[in-house]
Formats: sequence, C-alpha cells, structure tokens
Amino acid sequence: MNVLYDGSFEGFLTLVYDVYYEALNPTSIMKNEPKELLFEPLHVVFTDETKAHKVLLALQKKFSKEHYQRIFHTFLCDSISFEMELLAFIVLGFKEQKTLENITIPAVFKLQSMENELLRLTHKMYGFTRFEELEDGMLYAKIETKFNVLPFLGEHFCKRLGNHAFIIHDVKRSLAFIKDETTKHIKEVASFETPLLSQNETHVRELWKTFFTHVAIENRRNEKLQKSLVPLLYRTYMSEFLA
Amino acid sequence: MKVSIQDKIAILAESAKYDVSCSSSGSEHNYKTGELGNTHKSGICHTFTSDGRCVSLLKVLLSNICIYDCAYCINRTSNDIVRTAFTPRELADLTINFYKRNYIEGLFLSSGIIKDEDHTMELLLQTLRILRHEYRFNGYIHVKLIPGSSKELIHEATLLANRVSSNIELPSSKSLALLAPQKSKESLLSPLKHARNITLERHQKPISMSTQMIIGATGESDFEILKLSSSLYQKALLKRVYYSAYIPVNSHKDLPSPLHVKPPLQREHRLYQADWLLRFYGFSYDEIVDENENLDIQFDPKTHWALRHLEHFPIDINTAPLYTLIRIPGIGVRGAQKILQARRFKSLSFEDLKQLKIPLKRARYFIVAGKNYQKEVPLYEEKLKIALIHHGHNIIQPTLFDTSVYTGEF
Repeated sequence: MNVLYDGSFEGFLTLVYDVYYEALNPTSIMKNEPKELLFEPLHVVFTDETKAHKVLLALQKKFSKEHYQRIFHTFLCDSISFEMELLAFIVLGFKEQKTLENITIPAVFKLQSMENELLRLTHKMYGFTRFEELEDGMLYAKIETKFNVLPFLGEHFCKRLGNHAFIIHDVKRSLAFIKDETTKHIKEVASFETPLLSQNETHVRELWKTFFTHVAIENRRNEKLQKSLVPLLYRTYMSEFLA
Repeated sequence: MKVSIQDKIAILAESAKYDVSCSSSGSEHNYKTGELGNTHKSGICHTFTSDGRCVSLLKVLLSNICIYDCAYCINRTSNDIVRTAFTPRELADLTINFYKRNYIEGLFLSSGIIKDEDHTMELLLQTLRILRHEYRFNGYIHVKLIPGSSKELIHEATLLANRVSSNIELPSSKSLALLAPQKSKESLLSPLKHARNITLERHQKPISMSTQMIIGATGESDFEILKLSSSLYQKALLKRVYYSAYIPVNSHKDLPSPLHVKPPLQREHRLYQADWLLRFYGFSYDEIVDENENLDIQFDPKTHWALRHLEHFPIDINTAPLYTLIRIPGIGVRGAQKILQARRFKSLSFEDLKQLKIPLKRARYFIVAGKNYQKEVPLYEEKLKIALIHHGHNIIQPTLFDTSVYTGEF
C-alpha cells in the first residue's frame, strides 16, 4: 500500500500510529502527492496531534536515549528518503530493543550510517561556517548543507560566542537560528534582505585572506588534496575562497 | 617605516608556516556563560590551504626577528629577509576578530628570539594575559615555550595555555650540534618537563604537549626517529610528535641543496602512518621498522608488517579480539568496531562485510569470514605483493589493442 503523509515529524508519528491501530502496511511512503496514477491504493495520513503525542510517549518509554535520539537525527537528514527504514526501525524497536544494535539488518545499518554522516557533516560545519559582522555588531552566517544541521550549529555557537548576538541562516531551507540578548530559537524566514556590514568587516576579511594565502607552502602545493578536504560544495560562503 | 597590519600578517605567516603543529584537540569544553570562546575535544579544522594542510589556529610569529642562526630555519639571523613584529595588543585583537567570525579555533603563539629568551617569553606572555584576563577569551591557545627562558615565565604560560610545545627540531644531538649549535636536546626538552611538573603539582591533568622534528635534512633513519617518538610517548611526556618534511629554504654546506631536493613528502606520510600505529594500534616501533632502516615506501607500515608476519594470518574476523582485528591491513578502528557490533548477531561472511561498507580491497587477502576466504592468491609474500599492487587483477590484462603474439595482428 502507498502511504502519503505531510513530511512533518508529527505526520510521521501519526503514520506510525495508523500502522498499529489501522493495520496499515506501507510498501512505500511519500511526502508529496504522486503525479502519475498508481496501481496500488493510496492511503493518506492526516496529521493528528493526539495520535502523534501518544506515539512519542511510547517511543520515549520504550527506546533507549541513544535510539530515541537517532529517530530525531534521522529527521534532520531531510534530503534523502528514510521513511521506510525509519518505520522498520521503530517497529523493530517496539518488538525487541536489542535488534536495534544489529547492523546486519539493512534498515538498522542505514539509520546508523545516516546518523554518522549527519554528525560528520555537523563537525565539518563547526569549522566551515563563516560569520560576518553587521553594522549593529551582530554576527551573521549563511549556510547551505545537505542535511539540516542548524540545531547543532546553534547550540555550538551559543557556547562559544558568549554575549554576541548572532544569526545562522540556512538559505536553502529558509530557516534561521537566531540568538540575541534574551532568546535563542529557530525560525522560518521567508525573505531576508542583504544586511549592511560593519565598517571593519572588509578589512578583517582581507587580513584573513592574506593569512590564508601566505601560510601555504608552495613546495607542497596539492590542490587535489585541498579539494578532497574542503569540497567545492562547502566553499560557497567561506570568505577565504570568495573573490 | 611603518609596516601595515596587512604586511605584518603576510610576513609573519610566511615565517611561521614551516611549523606543522596546528591541532586544537585534547581540551575539554571550558566555556563560561557570557565569555568568548570554547574548545572542542577532538579539535576543529576551519579550512585547508592550497597545500592541503589544515588551518585550525592563527599561526603567525609574534616576531620573525631572531638572534639564533639555525641552518635549516628561514628566520635565521644571517638571512636577509624583512623583519617585523606584532605588538601583543595587535596580535590579541587579530585573534579575537578572527575567532568571532569562526575563521579559527584559537591562536598558535610563537616567536623568533628577539633580544633574549626571557624578553621574548615575556612578550608572548603579555599577549596571553590580554587574551585570557582582559578579553576573557576561552578559545584554544598553543604556546611555544622558548627554550632557555626562566622557569617563572614558563610557569605562567603553562597555566594559561591549552597546549605548550618545544620543538626537538632534529632527531639526534649530533645533527643539532651541526645545524643548530645554539640549541641542545636537553635545552629543548627541559621546558616541557618543567611544564608537565607544574600541572602535575596542581593535581591537574598534565598539560598536553607536542614537538616537531624535521625529516630529511639530516641522515637519521626512520628507525631512529620512531624510536625517539616512541620513547617520548612512553614517558607520557608528549601527546603528539609532528614530522616535517625538510623544505630547503637556505643554502648551507651541511644541508641538502635547495636546487635539486624535493621535500620527502612520501616519507613524511609513512612516518605519520607509523606514528598512528604507535599511538592507537598497539604496535611498537621495532615491529614496524628494522634497525637503522627506513619505512617501506611502496606499502603502508601496517601492510608491510603483515606481509612479513604471514604466520599471524589469515585472521578469523568472527573470533579475533579488537587488538587483533586492527592489525589487519585495510581495517581501522572504526571498521573493527562495526565488526564487533555486527558479529554479536550473526557469523559474518564477505558479503556481510561489504554490506557494512568495510573495504575488502586489501583486507580480503588476510582474513577468513565464516566459510569465506579468498582462494585466488596464496598466502606468500611475493604473490600477495603483486595482488595488492594490481588489486587482484591478472597482471597480464589483454586489451582491445593487444596484438596477437602469434600473428602480429590485432
């Protein structure tokens, strides 16, 4: 049976509820209405907060902290489809917690690998994110990433930027982590005007670029290695690679 | 003439770039609410330069003025290069400005010897004090201890830094005497010993320390180099030894000529691999390399070891303990952990290992997995070498353009 849900976390939890209480047996799970005619029947999941909440409580009770977290982390890997595997993972977990360590089961292995990839990407972005100082002293960073790492980056930079207000703007997802004197939260941003930079900004960026060029050793030049360590994909907003 | 900050950073980055140490690892989180800066246990690389090296710290010299005349060093006093210096305040401000923008993880604080050792150490300390006390900066700071400076200064620096280091520079006392007559092994290591004692006295974890050796400027073998590293690790004196392929910057009668020497990058690479085996894989230096020999260039040290110890192979991946699994060429710590995790549930075959994304390119020749083992290549050193080089393909590969040996035709 084909199942359609709205792509939200609550939607997915409702789907899990329906699997148990309406004996739903999905063969594929979709986020968007299919364009072609399907041979199999299509079941539409209507997101329901009560159902979702019940499932969430059950997950919390039954799953270890590590596995419970993996479910959330999977949802951050939003650029690949994971729904069938995540459902299998949850069903396995409700049956027998121990099997969630069994990486010879493809769904379990996929989720564990995805989580590793997410955390590796997060670690890369801890280094590759670049802030610019705005007119009012606020720090502003733009990012574009394969997975949604904004929650991790937000927490990371709250710890290191002290009292500085900052924004990390996930351009593709239209999300922003905003931290100012009173609050920190993730917000959807529809449009964002290019902000004015502080007077000092260009000067500091030039200093950084000078440092970046001069600290390289010409006799050891190896751009292939450089490219494998900072793939072009990451360079879009990294000041040292901008003209 | 007044030198601009822009020029200073260019000159002083040039002067510092031959120092390889750039890691920012080993410090637990130490942020304080409302203050700038935090460290990360595993360190963070912020970018990579065109030579493929990681930039984690702002690595510049406070000054490239130096009274020493070490033959291998670009900043030696007899070299005719532009000399300049940051003021401690300039360097501290630069650090903060770079850190805020997440360009860097912290500062690598080092300097040429300006007037004398104590004077230089005092300037480094001033920078440290501004950053730590005035700016309340908690990011990573690596301080190069100036050999020969007084104990009180080293004491203060040790307490304010995340890592301290002093470079051994050359792997033997003989080479030091030849190329850096103003330095000796004792004078280079004594600040480190002192720094360790200070932190131990305060019942803290010993401060993490590192050193660097230049490879290929003098005649020491890899055996001597690894023996020295291994003794430094064993005494728990150091966390890291860095190896730096010698890049000729000066002409000197006792040094390889700058004109026709390429930096021994492959050798440096092998030394790092061997170093890794010492620190994380439970190998001892004399297992990896024979007395007074160099490491094999063709094969990595682990494969080389395996080829010469075939009596330990093949290893059964379904029963071998962790420390044996990680001795299999091509299987690292992560791969070994996946094997341990998976084999609790079933006996693993080659197919299972592939599913777990464990590369079998090299490992396949050295393992048994349940009923699976490779039959194509017998377990003999020469046969295995050929198979490893050619990735198991037949060595004679007929191609479309082969001519027939009999007729000379296509």
